[in-house]
Amino acid sequence: MRIKAWFFAFSALAFAHSAVAQNTPSYIDETASSGVDSSYLGEWEYMVGGGVATFDCNADGFDDMFLAGGTAPATFYVNASKRGGALSFKAQTSGLELDKATGAYPLDVDSDGNTDLIVLRVGENIAMRGLGNCRFERANEGWGFDGGDAWSTALAATWEKGMAWPTIAIGNYINRREETSPWGSCTDNWLHRPNGNTFAPPLALKPSYCPLSMLFTDWNRSGTPSLRVSNDREYYEGGQEQMWRLAPGQTPTLYQDTEGWKYLRIWGMGIASYDLNFDGYPEYFLTSMADNKLQTLANNDPSKPSYNDVAYAKGVTAHRPYMGGDLRPSTGWHTQFEDVNNDGLVDLFVAKGNVAEMPDFAMKDPNNLLLQGPDGKFKEAGEAAGVASVATSRGAALADFNLDGLLDLVVVNRWETAQLYRNTSSSAGSWIQVKLRQPAPNVDAIGAWLEVKRGDKVMRREITVGGGHASGQSGWWHFGLGDAASIELRVIWPDGSRGDWQKVDGNGFYILERGKPGAVTWSPE
Amino acid sequence: MKILSKLVLLTVLAGFAWLMVPGAMPVLANSVQPEKVLHSWYQMVLELVRHTPTYSPPVASRSFAYLGITAFEATASGSRELQSLAGQLNGLEPLPQREAGKAYDEAVVVHSALAAAAEELFTNTGPTGKRALAALEKKLRSEASAELPADVVARSEDYGRAVAAHILAWSRDDGGAVIENMGFPLEYPLTKGAAHWVPTSPIAMQQKPLLPTWGGNRTFAMPNGAACPLPAPPTYSEDKTSAFYKEALEVYETKKNLTAEQRAIARFWSDDPMLSPTPPGHWISIALQILERGNAEIDESVDVLARIGIAVADGFVGCWNAKYQYDLLRPVTYIRRVIDPKWETLLITPPFPEYPSGHSTQSAAAATVLAGIFGEGFAFEDATHGRDGLAKRAFPSFWAAAEEAGISRLYGGIHFRSAVDRGLEQGRCVGAFVNALRTRR
Repeated sequence: MRIKAWFFAFSALAFAHSAVAQNTPSYIDETASSGVDSSYLGEWEYMVGGGVATFDCNADGFDDMFLAGGTAPATFYVNASKRGGALSFKAQTSGLELDKATGAYPLDVDSDGNTDLIVLRVGENIAMRGLGNCRFERANEGWGFDGGDAWSTALAATWEKGMAWPTIAIGNYINRREETSPWGSCTDNWLHRPNGNTFAPPLALKPSYCPLSMLFTDWNRSGTPSLRVSNDREYYEGGQEQMWRLAPGQTPTLYQDTEGWKYLRIWGMGIASYDLNFDGYPEYFLTSMADNKLQTLANNDPSKPSYNDVAYAKGVTAHRPYMGGDLRPSTGWHTQFEDVNNDGLVDLFVAKGNVAEMPDFAMKDPNNLLLQGPDGKFKEAGEAAGVASVATSRGAALADFNLDGLLDLVVVNRWETAQLYRNTSSSAGSWIQVKLRQPAPNVDAIGAWLEVKRGDKVMRREITVGGGHASGQSGWWHFGLGDAASIELRVIWPDGSRGDWQKVDGNGFYILERGKPGAVTWSPE
Repeated sequence: MKILSKLVLLTVLAGFAWLMVPGAMPVLANSVQPEKVLHSWYQMVLELVRHTPTYSPPVASRSFAYLGITAFEATASGSRELQSLAGQLNGLEPLPQREAGKAYDEAVVVHSALAAAAEELFTNTGPTGKRALAALEKKLRSEASAELPADVVARSEDYGRAVAAHILAWSRDDGGAVIENMGFPLEYPLTKGAAHWVPTSPIAMQQKPLLPTWGGNRTFAMPNGAACPLPAPPTYSEDKTSAFYKEALEVYETKKNLTAEQRAIARFWSDDPMLSPTPPGHWISIALQILERGNAEIDESVDVLARIGIAVADGFVGCWNAKYQYDLLRPVTYIRRVIDPKWETLLITPPFPEYPSGHSTQSAAAATVLAGIFGEGFAFEDATHGRDGLAKRAFPSFWAAAEEAGISRLYGGIHFRSAVDRGLEQGRCVGAFVNALRTRR
């Protein structure tokens, strides 16, 4: 029965998307001219991490960028691109020039309208308060944020019901001071819950299994997100993939096998989520070494957190290089679902790169750009699209840096400069990009769902902070529309209240503000 | 004061010890015992097996054999008790000899031999493994050589490395030295017919079976991989009265009615690659626990570890030889085809043919060898998976442990009864070849 549903769903889409189905996007490597020159440096303690954060900190609508530098200071770049033009960034002193950074996630912690940044580090994590105009200041002391002293590698954030401030989960890796026996030395993950307008002392999430990605996600649409944790099996003992249940004011508890949680042990490195099959529940792509996983809720049953792996069936195992002749298995890191050709079907990016010099794994490991077809299967297009870098990649972000409706790409590389690609596709479909606004707290409506109706299908994306690999984004939420000139759009706010469906034209930017009628059109000055 | 007394005693003893060693070679002693060095290296190797992607169980067994033989031969040349295995193991030529009348330190010899062997055998390990290897090498070298004359250290290190070089050179043409794509061939024609193995995993690289030529590798103690042959498994049939169907039904019903104890047994012996020291590492761990419990000295320790390594390595070659001879499908394939299309196993079904059970063969080989050394009724506790949160288990004998390891695969849903029973028989055969080796003068 479920197979039939899939078949009909994709048959319908096959018709709807016939005009632009699986158009291969065109990317141009503009690293050299972009002004970006930042490498993720360091040896063993920096073999993981290497993130990028994209966010708009000067209110011009263009995403600015923070690049972790490892042992080198992080670099902040203000976006100087023109709409539809070449990508252009300028390094700018911002207060974010922190060393030992592994990654960062943007969010507006204090709901003052300025995006803040949580910087993950080898050592103390640092909360950086946004002051406006891309200036930041340390806020650990002011916010009661205990940065600890660990090897931090993952972050996720949510606003628990009734809370003025976010709950931030931070994933920590192995005890970096262990030399002869680092295995089994996973250090505690932390849950920073709010205490009024500050953070309470962090709660240890035990057991902790060396995560490299975390994501708060409302997997069963209960209205209360759970915390998915993807763990690196290289270092844990007795561990597995995890999902924590967080009820407001309650101690988190792990989903158990008796509740349907399946015992899965992978080299978990990154999480991407999206409702691929239009059933209202997100699928989860988990990067690993060799085969990656694509999980879909078993039997569409939201009462049990049981997932089936459909990576092989959907063509997204991405287990070895697809070019260059190196047949050894791949190593996957950051991952993200976005529609890079605007055909109305999200595609999948995976950053690839050897841990260091692991001979069992490919050394020339091209990044993947897997295009989803009308049949729900994905096909590799990284080389044809021009993004098949074989640098040792880690974090990344797909974002529309020049506001032309086409998603551009930044990829962080270990020991080599980050790469910046401009999407120059000429045959892509139409699109919309959306920002959400609501009164404080949680002004960016983290935890909301955006829905776009086209024909009899509803595309959905959950508004999250977390996932990927040490890389976070805020800013515009993008939908490709295929050949639709207009669509209907609505938001389900974090508290579950549903906005009205409203018709908007394609190829536009819109701001949905809670309590105000209609989508407000926005355009770059 | 206590340490000083020990040093004085050891120095005095060392002054007499050389008189007892063949070839009148003086032996020095320091505060670090060679068996401590040996155990430290083996603990590291158990970790590296778990954390090096190349290390499927057959590959691990091979390394345990070469490491054991390296430690054994490095020690044997300075021992009045041990007999070299050169000329007894297939293709092993006489080892380098120590310089007559020169002093060696056994801890340094063992350390340098194992350090060199581990460096090559785990050349594929990741940056954390390499970092840990380097840290252990530095630590043990410093400890073992701290109180010794420089010439003794240099001579002992040179000798240990020479033994390792000899063993490693011998290892390189055994058929198992190069592992590509984690052991999965890029091309492999599956055998046609309902009885034969088909992939059971959605993992892309496991659409081909693991190490299909491993059964042709050079063996150590037994003549070749076909030296312990098996009768054919029950003839494939979907007839409900057939022996094959009944064996499948047994797996199905067992899973359906699995007790907590059976589940615990299945988990305890699961020994998944990359998540444990693998089945051969489990038996190495058992041997180490017994040696530590008995405060075994270096001669006994290297003797046991060499023979266990050889047993599990030959066990895997023999088992793989039979696996690809019969190329039988896994229970999950049959049960979903014939009995219950939604059936799921408790354990992850390994990506290679079913008959016989590898854990059964190599466990029986190891048990046969350990029983030969410690006795048939030797009771012991096994805490191999303590750090993974699994409780230790107690066994009245090695054979009881081997039988439990075997049946655990049926509980886990990954083997039929015949694969377990015939695997145990095959392991006994392999173990007998190992027990025929002469390790003592």
